[in-house]
Amino acid sequence: MTAPVVRRRRRPVTDVLLSVWGWLVMAFLFAPILVIVVYSFNDGRLLSAWGGFGFSAYEAAFANRQIVATVLVTIRVAIWSALLATVLGTMAGIALARRPGRWTVWFTALLLLVTVTPEIVDAVALLPWFVQLGTELGITILNDGIVRLAIGSSLFSTAVVAYLVRSRLVGMDEHLEHAATDLYATPFQALTRVTLPLTAPAVLSGFLLSFTLSLDNTIIAAFVSVQGSTPWPVYILGSVRSGLRPEIAAMSTVMLVLTLLVLVLVAIVLRRSGDSTAQIARTMTGG
Amino acid sequence: MTALGSAPRRAATPPPRRRLRAPSFLLALPAWFWLLVFFVAPVGLVLYYSFGYKPSLFETVATDRLSFDRYLEALSPTFASVFLNTLWVGVIGTILCLVIAMPAAYWIATKVPAHRRGLMLGLVLVPFWTNFLVRTIGWRVMLAPEGFLSEWMVSLGLGPIELLNTRGAVLIGVVYNYLPLMILPLYVAFDRVEGPLREASKDLGADRVRTFLTVTLPLARPGIVAGVLFVYIPLMGDYITATVLGGAQGTMAGQLVASQFQTAQNWALGSAMAVVLILTTVLSAVVAAAMLWLVTWPVRFATRLRIGGAS
Repeated sequence: MTAPVVRRRRRPVTDVLLSVWGWLVMAFLFAPILVIVVYSFNDGRLLSAWGGFGFSAYEAAFANRQIVATVLVTIRVAIWSALLATVLGTMAGIALARRPGRWTVWFTALLLLVTVTPEIVDAVALLPWFVQLGTELGITILNDGIVRLAIGSSLFSTAVVAYLVRSRLVGMDEHLEHAATDLYATPFQALTRVTLPLTAPAVLSGFLLSFTLSLDNTIIAAFVSVQGSTPWPVYILGSVRSGLRPEIAAMSTVMLVLTLLVLVLVAIVLRRSGDSTAQIARTMTGG
Repeated sequence: MTALGSAPRRAATPPPRRRLRAPSFLLALPAWFWLLVFFVAPVGLVLYYSFGYKPSLFETVATDRLSFDRYLEALSPTFASVFLNTLWVGVIGTILCLVIAMPAAYWIATKVPAHRRGLMLGLVLVPFWTNFLVRTIGWRVMLAPEGFLSEWMVSLGLGPIELLNTRGAVLIGVVYNYLPLMILPLYVAFDRVEGPLREASKDLGADRVRTFLTVTLPLARPGIVAGVLFVYIPLMGDYITATVLGGAQGTMAGQLVASQFQTAQNWALGSAMAVVLILTTVLSAVVAAAMLWLVTWPVRFATRLRIGGAS
């Protein structure tokens, strides 16, 4: 847009250097991912030693009941966690945008704290907490692996959804809601028929982002998961210690394709709702 | 913090239609509750545990006697060296991320044609959304002594790669893993510095370098600060990169905390270490900000703009 069309000069050296650097950074960013994708076609027994091209890793991955079970656990947890985060975050986001007051400072501080606390601290904090609540206070639902994992990965996502919904509503006038109430809509009706549809793109992208964030959740999951409901990332972490096999790369490639599909969906939703590229980028990093 | 739940009803300016406004504040309550129960309370518990002790081989923590002993233990030479190492990796890793990301983000924001910027950002986002652990394993494959990169190096006569399970490998891993988190805020910042502003600087006689240093960079400062914090804070708490690439002997504080909870079963010491980790992160960031402020003071003093006669 800013590039002037009229004066066509030779590109200065700095521009050439910049683009060389830019492409090098891109190559750096993609190198290990390409390696994983390529090595998922490794017919050898060990991941890092190439043993010829083939699809045996994919066959082995889908035939391995343990791997399939862990992936299913991860997907179930991701759905629950995304639902939780979306409901809580959307409500909080609407309140933040529409009813600012002294409480917003404290609440925003809490959300900020949730996003900046190192995951390892959340993880070690949740472990004794679940044990305490589950066994000593007798809240037995917290002994369920899926519940623990879903709660663990919902915390960060709740903050992300709240930011998303808030920033979408802040940019919109409240006149529509006022008009609804002037026309005798109850506050609840105004909320469900006017405010919620207005925030729908942010809610949907928040849901999908929470879903992918939960698929990725490794550290908290490693601490709170219970035997029998090991999620996929924790399984991988275990096999880093016991020996990596090509099946890991194969299933990771499948999961990568799944994640990318979800993200493309988010980008489309945001684009349709009129966000700029920079806004989408910010949205997708949870800020 | 809980007491706040009831106070904010009476907001600063009385709303015109109070009758209709009341219920919306309640919408934030479920999230309050959720985060208080599953974030504030457990982290508070860790804080409390950090003053306790490990009573016996089979118990993880006791809090009938509270003391600062676990903090002294966490800062004893063996563990302090791990914290120093974490600080080293954190600072060097963040600086490397900044140095690598700055030209790349500037390139995407100003040199790449506008219609292709979205695609470029999408490409930066792909690794960001690939499973952290899987990306790191990709590096393990690449750096493996029996891997393809190592074979190329040998065929070039450079000898095999012997980086795996060293601090160098951890550094490569963290720079790689957190780089997108630096590129994105920098991109947003550079994108905001409009082209016309740079043109104006050029028209007023500044060359490219001067324009970058005196116009673009100062205006992009909030983005740079955001990027540095986005990278530095999670990097200091990193656990996975160090576990996958750093080998069995723990090199990062995150691993230290994890091992106290998982293998040593000493929750008191682990909690103290977690608190020390957070304090180290926050204090080092504050010290760095103060130092930067002091160092750049002469520059700011020399280039400050006086408008009118106001002091």
